[in-house]
Amino acid sequence: MADIQEAPAADTVATEAVRERPRSELARMWSRFRKNKIAVVSLAFVAILVITAIIAPLIIPHDPTAQDLRNRFLPSFTDASHPLGTDTLGRDILSRLVMSLRTALVIGFGAEAIALFTAIVIGMAAGYRGGRTDEVLMAFNDIMYAFPSYLLTVILVVVMGRSTGAVILAISIGSWVGQARLARAQTLKIKSFGYVEAGRSMGAGGITTTLRYILPNALGPLLVATSFGIPAAIAAEAGLAILGLGVAPPTPSWGGMIIDGYHDVIGRPFLIIWPLLLFGLTLLAFTFVGDGLRDAFDTSEEDR
Amino acid sequence: MIRYLLGRLVRLVLSLFAVSIITFVLLQLVPGSYSDLQGADVGSGLGGSSVVGGSGGGAGGEEQPAWLSYVQFMKGAITWDMPASYKYPQLTVNEIIEQAFPVSFTIAFLAMIVSVCIAIPTGLIAAARQNKFLDYGPMFLFTVITALPGYLFALVLILVFASWLRLLPTGGWNGPQYAIIPVLALGLEHVARMARFVRTSVLESLREEYVVAARAKGATPATVWVRHVLRNSLIPVVTVAGPMFAAMATGTVFIEALMGIPGLGMFFSVAARTRDLPLMMGATLFFAVLLMLVNLLVDLSYRLLDPRIRYQTPRTSVRSRRLARAQLEAVNQNG
Repeated sequence: MADIQEAPAADTVATEAVRERPRSELARMWSRFRKNKIAVVSLAFVAILVITAIIAPLIIPHDPTAQDLRNRFLPSFTDASHPLGTDTLGRDILSRLVMSLRTALVIGFGAEAIALFTAIVIGMAAGYRGGRTDEVLMAFNDIMYAFPSYLLTVILVVVMGRSTGAVILAISIGSWVGQARLARAQTLKIKSFGYVEAGRSMGAGGITTTLRYILPNALGPLLVATSFGIPAAIAAEAGLAILGLGVAPPTPSWGGMIIDGYHDVIGRPFLIIWPLLLFGLTLLAFTFVGDGLRDAFDTSEEDR
Repeated sequence: MIRYLLGRLVRLVLSLFAVSIITFVLLQLVPGSYSDLQGADVGSGLGGSSVVGGSGGGAGGEEQPAWLSYVQFMKGAITWDMPASYKYPQLTVNEIIEQAFPVSFTIAFLAMIVSVCIAIPTGLIAAARQNKFLDYGPMFLFTVITALPGYLFALVLILVFASWLRLLPTGGWNGPQYAIIPVLALGLEHVARMARFVRTSVLESLREEYVVAARAKGATPATVWVRHVLRNSLIPVVTVAGPMFAAMATGTVFIEALMGIPGLGMFFSVAARTRDLPLMMGATLFFAVLLMLVNLLVDLSYRLLDPRIRYQTPRTSVRSRRLARAQLEAVNQNG
């Protein structure tokens, strides 16, 4: 809004835009990202979430696992020491909410980091080497694709247990498949470009070519897919919690809080309102950031 | 066509074989057994690695080699005569599926009706008023809905209608009023995908030359819409409905587990918590067969409804490619 009001006239804006075109790719991406107002607000919200999660142990008023059976079910906004109230076991809801945010982000970023890494290794190896490597890796990928992902995740959690690491691994195994296909398609496309050919003609080996020439140019769509994968991973953990297979207590998680509070939802809705609200807002924020990133990497609207 | 169909069927059987092997091998690796969990609080003991080597008797059949158990189970799965569940020993796995799946099916079917009744009018209006309020208002709302899982809507509905207004039960399955929250939550989860797809499809057919031609001939807007636009744009919608229904029938898992509705999803989650391996194996295979068969039927219906799509060659029209992409986006939540 402000930009438009300050602008003196349409034609000067146009010439100014041509003259002062942002030079670096990053600056141009940011200017595309910035057009999506919801994405900018969401990015700020995500930044707040990440900072809160990092400093969580310093700011929470109570130990999130400390039980106080004399003060169970304190409603929200009634006790200064427990602003959002206490749960079934008298644990402080605010503290549990903040520590669950930490759990959620660790799972979201962790699972997607593993998925992205696996996808890049497998997808780029298949795309770059082609031939037999491609056939074997993609046959493996096809089998995984045929497996409904949440069923696989549930079975893996049953096998590996409910530690945070096991849940992260189970979710990432359920989600790398699509990204690997994307990585392969990108590699196949970029492999034929002139600069890759030039690099190879100057003696670059397979590793150098893929890491220095192909990967940086293939990364955009993969990062967009990853940014949509993060909320999916967070929702997957909450889904596991609903099935009774989420991160094992005492580690707090939103899904666990919701399931714990569900039995008392009549009469004590505050037990699940707060985790539900923060959970929903977090999913939305990450999704909108993903939308913004997609715009930022989409150069088709810009005339070059 | 026959060759294509045969190829697809062979791939389907191979995929199912792979899914069954992976599931079986993974379930063999599960630490502890069903009998270890008896008396323990359901689900809470899963984190432990208390492997009681081989002593867990379960419900028999554990002393024979694993491959033999696999062959026996698969033989049972094919002849629809599977072993008894551990958790419900008086019932075989196929009896549980027979009892539970109709419940999931009912919820999915009603949810499908709800989402079609909302999605088609909204999608049509959005396309007719492209880039105006009636377009971006609902479409923004649908973006929000798509980003959220179905059980979240179930929880919100429970908070409003059960906890606050006390009109509906929080869970269980004892009559029509017990179906309202799960059906609405599941329908809402999918209405957004379908409405966006309807909108894309209508916008695509509005750009077609035959619409321009019909307008040039002087056809009234009503004629253009009903005879040319609707007819061609709702065909792809039929093809989305199939996989969406499969996604719903298997996607009730979370809502059923949450609300204690005795559908197949709830039994699957109970089986997973209690390490009821035969039931898990049976339910997983059943879900996988369902999803794969529906996906196959959809691909076939594409060909029957739109002869421009060819399967052997990649030469498809721009429109059908765009629609195929939109269709993928619309249903890819279970993939």
